[in-house]
Amino acid sequence: MLEKKTQQQPEKKRRNKSRFDVSDAANTALFLAAFVGVWQLVFMLGIWPQFLLPSPAMVVTSIANLIADSSLPIGLGVTMLRLAAGFVVSIGIGGVVGLAMVKFPGFGKTMSSFAVGLLTFPSIAWVPFAILLIGFNDFGILFVVVMASVFSVMITTYSSIRNIPPLYLRAANNMGAKGFALFRYVMIPAATPSLILGIRQAWSFAWHALIGAEILITTLYGLGHILSIGKEFVDMGLIIATMVTIFVIGMVFDRIIFRKIEERVRARWGLDQHADSQ
Amino acid sequence: MIASEYKQKRGGSSAMLQVRAVSKAFHYDTTNSPNHAVLNGVSIDIKDGEFVTIVGPSGCGKSTLLNIIAGLDSPDSGSIFVKGERKTSTDPDRIVIFQEGALFPWLTVTENVEFGLKLAGVPKDKRIEKARHFVSMMQLSRFADSYIHQLSGGMKQRVAIARALAMDPDVLLMDEPFAALDVQTRDMLHNHLLQIHEATKKTILFVTHNINEALLLGSRVIVLSPSLGNIRKDIVIDLPRPRDIDSPELVLLKRQILKELEEDFQFARKENTTATREKTAQ
Ligand SMILES: Nc1ncnc2c1ncn2[C@@H]1O[C@H](COP(=O)(O)OP(=O)(O)OP(=O)(O)O)[C@@H](O)[C@H]1O
Ligand SMILES: [Mg+2]
Repeated sequence: MLEKKTQQQPEKKRRNKSRFDVSDAANTALFLAAFVGVWQLVFMLGIWPQFLLPSPAMVVTSIANLIADSSLPIGLGVTMLRLAAGFVVSIGIGGVVGLAMVKFPGFGKTMSSFAVGLLTFPSIAWVPFAILLIGFNDFGILFVVVMASVFSVMITTYSSIRNIPPLYLRAANNMGAKGFALFRYVMIPAATPSLILGIRQAWSFAWHALIGAEILITTLYGLGHILSIGKEFVDMGLIIATMVTIFVIGMVFDRIIFRKIEERVRARWGLDQHADSQ
Repeated sequence: MIASEYKQKRGGSSAMLQVRAVSKAFHYDTTNSPNHAVLNGVSIDIKDGEFVTIVGPSGCGKSTLLNIIAGLDSPDSGSIFVKGERKTSTDPDRIVIFQEGALFPWLTVTENVEFGLKLAGVPKDKRIEKARHFVSMMQLSRFADSYIHQLSGGMKQRVAIARALAMDPDVLLMDEPFAALDVQTRDMLHNHLLQIHEATKKTILFVTHNINEALLLGSRVIVLSPSLGNIRKDIVIDLPRPRDIDSPELVLLKRQILKELEEDFQFARKENTTATREKTAQ
């Protein structure tokens, strides 16, 4: 009797979720329509001149033009490459230092309060430092991106590993898991739910810092660069088109990629069971 | 005679597990309070294939003893031998089944059972076959690919048993594995465990605060006393299993054990009151 009930549970949950997704999409569409509607209305009221506040249709034309002359795809590609590079470096350095913090508790304690302090440090404030030390180039931008996200990765690694229930480690130890095997097969998977949260946060820090750095550290390409060109030439269509692109990228990563990974892990662990009844 | 005092034969080479004069005290930070001696020179010999239950009230040091035997904790003095070989650390020859199961929520039932085999470097097809065998032995085949949170408490403990058996340990150490279960599920698992013991002839050391459980399962019941920090009684029960807890023999034994524990309790209370009196006098 008991067994039957638990087996049916996942099925029921899946059905609930898909219905939820549909209403979610409808809500989003409605919200977008309202937003575009208000924008169109403000445009038609003519409070600002057309070149300062273009209509939604004009922005769509801008986007189409930007895609046609391939400046948007190139800018987007360069920005994503920088993001990927910065994020990989952050995860590498942050992960290694975070593990060292776990391994050497004295260092961990000092470093974690230092890193928490740097976590609240506005990443844009690194820009002048990066310009003088490294210059107006990709490495300067990379530096700012890494500084913005590496401490988040560090803290996350440190705290998620320290917060693993000791019982898992004892059980694994008892079954012969030591050294690297313990790390690879127990510590990493046991820390995964909280690691994902932290990495999501680190991603968002990196993304903020990257666009900021691209605007301030002028190079030839990138979404931030297109924004500063828009400002130079007073091309609001260009600016809004780029902003829309930035918004969409953020949504795709945060809402789709990270959320999907998180949902999958949470479902496997059964972490959402209580949330269902709320 | 059905129940008799266990006679310890020192240095018997036939012993599977030997606990030799194990002592353990816990140290508290408050500087002027004495160390809390939990185990006080405990010695136990367990033969191959024996099913020994250790019973004692909460806090008497059952888990401490089991963890020391498993090598998860180190004793202040004394030693542990398995098949005559001294053991100082954890080793898959002694597997613990914890009260909370300690299953890994990121793995399926089968993957949990496979876990130790994977660490031991058993090839994939072989360990899957082995895991399947123990999963079906514990009647969990329908849940082979389920995740842990999809199981009931009783099923979780069955997975924990399957995981332990898959390691093929010399000694199975069970720390109140059924304490959190309802009575019917516990009865079912008792029978299941007895069948497994019958089939595999594993040496089992089973710790519990439940006297009925200890009497139903053990071919030997050891009563641990919190006031002595040592064994108060060691009884061999020569009754066939499954047993009836209401049978005259077990009722008698239960009364006897309860009396021992009651004496212990009174002793502890007397000590407590003297301690408080001393404190108030200061
Ligand atoms: N790490 C520790 N530090 C300090 N004291 C401890 C520690 N572990 C256990 N103790 C103390 O040792 C005593 C025995 O603990 P133990 O967990 O072995 O008891 P138990 O018999 O398993 O009890 P239960 O039936 O409640 O599980 C308790 O009084 C407990 O407070
Ligand atoms: Mg205990």
